Amino acid sequence: MTQRVTGQRFRQRKLSTKQNLPVLRENEVEKLVDDDATRHIPRVETGVEKGEEIEHHLQAIISAQAAGTAPSKAAQLYIPTPDAIASKLQYDDLYPRHFTQPATYIRFSSTVEDCIGTTYCMTSDDVAFLKGYNHKKGKSVQCSEDEFEEVMNFLEETSTTKQPYATVDNAPVLPYEDMEAEFDETIREHSRRFAKPIYEHWKNQRLLIGNRSLIPALKFETNLETDDADPYVCFRRREVRQVRKTRGRDAQVTEKLKKLRKELEEGRYLMAQVKRREVLIRDQLAQDKLIFQQRSELKEIKRKLSIKGDDEELLINQRPAPKPKPKIDVPAPLRGIPGMGQKAQMARPDGRLLDPDLVSHEEQVAKRSEMIDGFVEENLMKHQKWNVGWIDQTWRPITPPLEQPAAKSNFRPVFTSAQLPTPPASVSSEEAAAEQMDVDQENKQVVPRRSARFRYASPPDDVPFQEQARFRRRTGRGGRFMVDRRGLKRQKLESIDERVADRFRYADDSSEDDGVTDVDHTDTLHIRYRIMIDRQGEKQHAQAAAQNRRSVENHNRSASGHLLPPSQAG
Amino acid sequence: MAPRENSHEPSGTPVPVETGFATLATLRVGTKAFVEKDGEKRKAEILHMRSRRGKPSFYVHYEDFNKRLDEWIDADRIDLSREVEWPAPEKPEKKKSAPSQKNQAPSKSDQKNLKRSRSKAEREASGTPDSTSVNLPGKAQRPSKAAGKENKEILVTSELPDGSTPKLEDDDIDMVDVQDAAAAAKSLPNEVYSREDEIEKLRTSGSMTQNQTEISRVRNLDKIQMGKFEIEPWYFSPYPTEFVDSDMVYICEFCLGYYGDVTPFERHRSKCTLLHPPGNEIYRDDYVSFFEIDGRRQRTWCRNLCLLSKLFLDHKTLYYDVDPFLFYCMATRDEHGCHFVGYFSKEKESAEGYNVACILTLPQYQRRGFGKLLIDFSYLLSKREGKLGSPEKPLSDLGLLGYRAYWQEMIVDILVDGRVEANIEDVGAALAMTTNDVLHTLQNLNMLRYSGKGHCIVLTDAVLEQRERQKEKEKKKGKRSIEPDKLIWKPPIFSAASRTWNW
Ligand SMILES: [Zn+2]
Repeated sequence: MTQRVTGQRFRQRKLSTKQNLPVLRENEVEKLVDDDATRHIPRVETGVEKGEEIEHHLQAIISAQAAGTAPSKAAQLYIPTPDAIASKLQYDDLYPRHFTQPATYIRFSSTVEDCIGTTYCMTSDDVAFLKGYNHKKGKSVQCSEDEFEEVMNFLEETSTTKQPYATVDNAPVLPYEDMEAEFDETIREHSRRFAKPIYEHWKNQRLLIGNRSLIPALKFETNLETDDADPYVCFRRREVRQVRKTRGRDAQVTEKLKKLRKELEEGRYLMAQVKRREVLIRDQLAQDKLIFQQRSELKEIKRKLSIKGDDEELLINQRPAPKPKPKIDVPAPLRGIPGMGQKAQMARPDGRLLDPDLVSHEEQVAKRSEMIDGFVEENLMKHQKWNVGWIDQTWRPITPPLEQPAAKSNFRPVFTSAQLPTPPASVSSEEAAAEQMDVDQENKQVVPRRSARFRYASPPDDVPFQEQARFRRRTGRGGRFMVDRRGLKRQKLESIDERVADRFRYADDSSEDDGVTDVDHTDTLHIRYRIMIDRQGEKQHAQAAAQNRRSVENHNRSASGHLLPPSQAG
Repeated sequence: MAPRENSHEPSGTPVPVETGFATLATLRVGTKAFVEKDGEKRKAEILHMRSRRGKPSFYVHYEDFNKRLDEWIDADRIDLSREVEWPAPEKPEKKKSAPSQKNQAPSKSDQKNLKRSRSKAEREASGTPDSTSVNLPGKAQRPSKAAGKENKEILVTSELPDGSTPKLEDDDIDMVDVQDAAAAAKSLPNEVYSREDEIEKLRTSGSMTQNQTEISRVRNLDKIQMGKFEIEPWYFSPYPTEFVDSDMVYICEFCLGYYGDVTPFERHRSKCTLLHPPGNEIYRDDYVSFFEIDGRRQRTWCRNLCLLSKLFLDHKTLYYDVDPFLFYCMATRDEHGCHFVGYFSKEKESAEGYNVACILTLPQYQRRGFGKLLIDFSYLLSKREGKLGSPEKPLSDLGLLGYRAYWQEMIVDILVDGRVEANIEDVGAALAMTTNDVLHTLQNLNMLRYSGKGHCIVLTDAVLEQRERQKEKEKKKGKRSIEPDKLIWKPPIFSAASRTWNW
């Protein structure tokens, strides 16, 4: 208040907040004794409620600060607050050391309800009841605290849903039969055993407090007139602006609801199918186990009867004998999914007949794989046509690499393993099968294209294809014999010290266009250039294809740049 | 202003107060008596009375002390050798303005409701019904006679004094307001709000109540247990009514759930899996972490938080739900989890440009520099948003001191870098502070002066000395500050649908 009094005689002086003001030290300012403003601290709006602004402790500090003198004393002033003292509860028992800080910032969206388990928590009365109850019962039917709380919670929740205004209405406590009728998945089978006795206890507890909720609850608005004056009523909804009802809006809402309903059902259907799949897998596993057991029994019998023979075939699932050129496996993901069989499924899991107008999933899958195969076929053809008269040295220019045999057939590897200082690095069996430069190419079975699926292969980094030396003999015009070499490394070029080479890089004063360029015929640069060109072509093609595609969200190009077939949403 | 502090009402007419000697039996709610407090006698108003085992005790508010020091006292602390001031009777209802009449209605009907005798008593205690009209010009003078036990009963019979003229605004106030108008136009809390006005305002923005009816209530919880501490609440908070009878309310440190007894609390602790505020961590340094919690997505947790913080924030209102707010929660970490230390809430969209709605360091962590970190963090968010921010008013006393200290430190730090000129708006922009707040801080520190040549900013010896001391302290104790590059955060964008107040 004192500040107000001193402030009253100032005239407002215009001050522009945009204007630069000189910053001075105290000793640089003239002491203008006659200027009120320098003697008095102008009253400044504190933002504190007027009634509180004048409070004793706050004023003591403000005036100490304003006086500007003895700031050390002012620092000792503080606003007294009620105590916070150490608790007698055992903190370590209540809050175990469970927290490990993740390396990255925590991202979390679970709610309190997700994290606290059963909402109902036992009171000391409950503990006493449960102790008595378990004491009376045998060892086999002991009710755990969790089960007890589960039942209590169920009773509380059911009662709240069925009698939302129990406190206002003075409604009687719900009879047990009503409760039993409401049993659902929130109350587990083994907890239900205790429902009846716990109900009696619950009812008694409710009756003690006038059938109010046993879990202390906040007071929310009841839309009664008393709400507004009741300080306990909190967290009211902010009313929604009334939206004017129109026919158009109604239709819009209906459509939205329909759509939501449809999506929900689809989700539910998906989940049902997933469940079905998992059950089938489980059954299959059981069958496998059974087969295995029976086989091992059979093995025992064979032993007993001393029948000689290979046990292997008994214990291992029979597979077609490996052919010289094994089939390319059907990719695992497709193999493993039940319900992808050939037969169209004619009924829905709930037994209803399939709507004939509906496109079945199987048809869609078939159509889709047809598309994919067609696409692959087309690209293969294109690639082969493009390769006519050329040797494609790229490593699997497209997947699957089905055209390779034709292109590489004439090359033969040099089998010089005996003389090589180190054996060639091993290649995986699959690779060996695909890439082997066998002489008996013609004998190979033609793998049906249909079964050719995709593999997400990346070039092996351990053994570059080019490193293996290979030769091909062919007959040129006029009956010339020519030997093509591949994978040769010329020692000389490699042995040049790069630093030495660099030194002479600009020593030659010939200009670029007149000199003869040395060509290293074993260099793969030109091939790599071709690959680049090739891939650019693919890219362009993919871009064109993308326009025809329904879905643009899927990236049809793997990270390594290999072309993938268009994805079909559907 | 609390209605009981009538003597400080600028527009209040000095009301003749009836005084006299009292006995324990004649003491009643509203009486002001001298009470012994920390070795001295202070005038205190009795807000509530109760009797336990035949022993009366009184809930008193000390004049000129913050409400958080209100307490239950035994009869022997009341000095009956001195005269007491008897409570003034209420004004007649017909003289009230329309809004306050509405206000009165429910409280009358409530009177019949014996079930809630406690809350009724509280309202009576705070003299709520007449509070809204206290500030209105042209109000009637109080009837000078107090008679009868129940104030309300005499309302009808009390007569109006003749010739009571509308009281003009105090000249003094007028002058000051003019003087400050330029700087303080926006944040003036001396507007008179009717409760209806205020509720409508709060529906669409804000989290603080200006209205007296909300803020003067008897504390309802005696003690809370939280984490490693037992804490005495400061103010009323609308926890379940059952808790009024609890000696101790137990609050889970992580989910902030509340339990009226130790048994259910321990059961809860055995089931609760939360180890940190349930949101995304947006800041982490060696000392603290900040979590961003959306009131709409974490309704239960945020409600729990609001109930807890209401125990320590007088003006916070829980009238409406938590949806339109984001909560920035600061926590310290150890193997037990992230311990909630303090927070500030922020409107998703503040019409007034506030960057903080409520701000609180839990009492068990106060006076340790956390408040400054909270404030600093709130301005860091504003900087990221490219906005200027200011805290919502009214500030609490502690809030005011905290903000003033922060503002002073920041502004002086900028000015002391050797520059010869400064511009108030630029200083504000560099600190994400509003021009008003910069201006106020300078004025308050007597740093803005006028000489014949015009205004200048003066780095006074006092502020420089203060800064030296601060640096000295930091050297000794280590400096705790928010490191901007550790904030991984983009201002959240809310669609119209998620911002609206509906559910
Ligand atoms: Zn918890």
